[in-house]
Amino acid sequence: MLYRTAGQFKTSYEADQALFPVKQDAFLLGFIMVLAWVIFPLTASEFTFQTLLIPILIYSLAALGLNILTGYAGQLSLGTAAFMGVGAYACYKMITIMPWMNPIIAILLSGVFSAGVGVAFGIPSLRIKGFYLAIATLAAQFFLVWLFEKWAWLYNYNASGAIQVPNLDIFGLYVSGPQADSIVQYYLVLFIVCLLTWVCINLTRGNLGRTWKATRDMDIAAELIGINLMKSKLTAFAISSYIVGVAGALFVFMWRGAAEPNLFDIPLSFRILFIAIIGGLGSILGNYLGAILIVGLPVVLNLVPEALGIPLSSSMVEHLNFMIVGGLIVFFLIVEPHGLAQLWRLLREKLILWPFPY
Amino acid sequence: MKHFTRLALAGALAAATAGASMAQELYAPNLAYRTGPFAATGIPLMNGQADYMTLLNERDGGIGGAKIDFEECETGYSTEKGVECYEKTKGKAIVTQPWSTGITLQVLPKTNVDAIPILAPGYGFSPMMDGKTFQWAFNTPAGYWDAADMIIQYLESQGSLNGKKIAFLHLDHPYGKEPIPVLEQLAAEKGFELSPIPVGLKEMQNQSAQWLQIRRMRPDYVVMWGWGAMNAGAITEAVKTKFPMENFLGVWWSGHDADLAIAGADAKGYKSISWSFPKMDAPVMKDIQSMVIDKGMSKTDETEMKGVFYSRGIVISAILAEGIRAAQAEYGTAEINAEQLRWGLEHIDMTEERIAELGLDGMVPPFKTSCANHTGHSGGWMLEWDGEKFVKVSDLLTPNVAGYQALAEEKAKEYADANAPWPVNEGCDAM
Repeated sequence: MLYRTAGQFKTSYEADQALFPVKQDAFLLGFIMVLAWVIFPLTASEFTFQTLLIPILIYSLAALGLNILTGYAGQLSLGTAAFMGVGAYACYKMITIMPWMNPIIAILLSGVFSAGVGVAFGIPSLRIKGFYLAIATLAAQFFLVWLFEKWAWLYNYNASGAIQVPNLDIFGLYVSGPQADSIVQYYLVLFIVCLLTWVCINLTRGNLGRTWKATRDMDIAAELIGINLMKSKLTAFAISSYIVGVAGALFVFMWRGAAEPNLFDIPLSFRILFIAIIGGLGSILGNYLGAILIVGLPVVLNLVPEALGIPLSSSMVEHLNFMIVGGLIVFFLIVEPHGLAQLWRLLREKLILWPFPY
Repeated sequence: MKHFTRLALAGALAAATAGASMAQELYAPNLAYRTGPFAATGIPLMNGQADYMTLLNERDGGIGGAKIDFEECETGYSTEKGVECYEKTKGKAIVTQPWSTGITLQVLPKTNVDAIPILAPGYGFSPMMDGKTFQWAFNTPAGYWDAADMIIQYLESQGSLNGKKIAFLHLDHPYGKEPIPVLEQLAAEKGFELSPIPVGLKEMQNQSAQWLQIRRMRPDYVVMWGWGAMNAGAITEAVKTKFPMENFLGVWWSGHDADLAIAGADAKGYKSISWSFPKMDAPVMKDIQSMVIDKGMSKTDETEMKGVFYSRGIVISAILAEGIRAAQAEYGTAEINAEQLRWGLEHIDMTEERIAELGLDGMVPPFKTSCANHTGHSGGWMLEWDGEKFVKVSDLLTPNVAGYQALAEEKAKEYADANAPWPVNEGCDAM
């Protein structure tokens, strides 16, 4: 009933191939956009901004970047966190060398550096595939984190070896550093995430996206029909690393405020890979759903016992949290091995037919 | 995406209900880490802290009539969780105890905006001792630079350091690098050779490469800035390579009984500087035994209670309680706020008499904080592992703060400049 498609006639090929062939999808997206742009900022507390809204958006973006590479182009990567680090350190260096630079431009530019590094580490993908490639990207992970530790120039010879985000402003409004308001940071993150998501949707539906998918599904066949594998794989590495790099810059500048090299170590890579896998490889929506499950849910679960007035010690809640989230991950993967995005796709199909299935 | 709205709603609801339940209490949350990779050291510290606060609530009805709500928020030593806890508690907290260098780094710049004192006893950024710049941060009773200075002082008391070689085995992390500026300065002054040997976070448990280097170098002393699994790793390696244990010294976080108990009698002679000492016959320990532990209100056990870290937890809570008392006396109200507690923490005066009055005699050295001096520089004792437990082997060592005062001011200024606009408390006189 909610998703009834009766009466929505398509009279041209454009209409049939549109992003939203069903009107309700567009309404739903519009509703979510209103939530994200108007309702949440008006109602959220500082805590909600800092622990739910901003991190979910940033993790979604990082997972989106990984999904381009792993989900669309089929190249398994374990170096996501290191590429995020490249973005973060590049942004830090640009801001400290050129303090007059607009922070938004610096963040968007920092992705270029990680794209370059990503392409360099993507070159082995031309010869090796699958698990072997994963090991090659693992090398990037170890090498880059080591570099962040040892190359003191990267953190301006700071005695603690960590980078600390300065107070940056755009036209007198603080956007990063301790003086910045959460709501400003939220809008900035939301703007960049929306922009890059829009770019990615278009890329994956276009020519480039089709070449990636062909490469993923069977690279020999793709080569035979005239797809340049080198171009296809390296563009996937470049675009993926660009997005991941921007996510890394946002991660440090718009959320964490400070970062030590080991922040970009392998656990973060795994976390983002889990978000992409549980959300659904080869989908855009999945990254958001995955981030909500992996990043948002534990925070909310932590609040539940207190809200219900159950006296549990904080460490107990933490242990329970581990078990519940772990159990949910297993549950979702058993119910739908292709991730939450596929679950939504099936649900939507059922809704279209409901209440009169054949 | 439906989940998203539901989650956010639940979050908002929880935040709203959490804010409503407070009365005649002082909310002093602790960002505890009873889970995660460092839980082994976290648990005794957290138990000590919580038990002392429970004792105050049970025996004295709180502090100045106001009960202490010493709630723990579990971080698992993860920076991300730490920030989550900080955001969750900062609304009504009068103090925050971040408990990890990573969390301290994140929270420190925010305190000027949020106006909440950070209590980081014996850890964190050493230049925090400059209270003029770091108005809201306190690393009482001693910082890492004090520790470095005291260790060198102790070594000097064993014979001149001129021409000696000291290996500095440290965690390759902001925490481990912290004392290097002071050690380098002392090396230049006293004429010893300092060789820093970093241990990566991934190599904590397997330090064979580092100890091979130490064996080749043949240093006269090894000074360790280790944490978590690194301590036990280093001690077992030292035993294995037959390094003379009496020439092996660590900072206070490298003196955890459980780490040494693994090596037992083989680790005899290992030393650790400390500003706290487990004195089982101190009155406060007896009170805790009878009024907290015997009533089943504690999570601690008997072996843990005898350890250095448990007693350190007690000392930390006692320092916080003194700060609260000072603020209550000044402002004439039991329910002080964060700003008033800052004043209180700046006016702690732990004299010998006061320490005895609190029943802590022999457990913490006397110290005094002020508006410009947020550390107190209490000094400490050199503790030695006798095969079963730590014993005091030195008189009270006091750091020569003047030696690195200028360095602290310089670093503090650097920090303030990098984080401009950074308000400085001009009302303070020089230290």
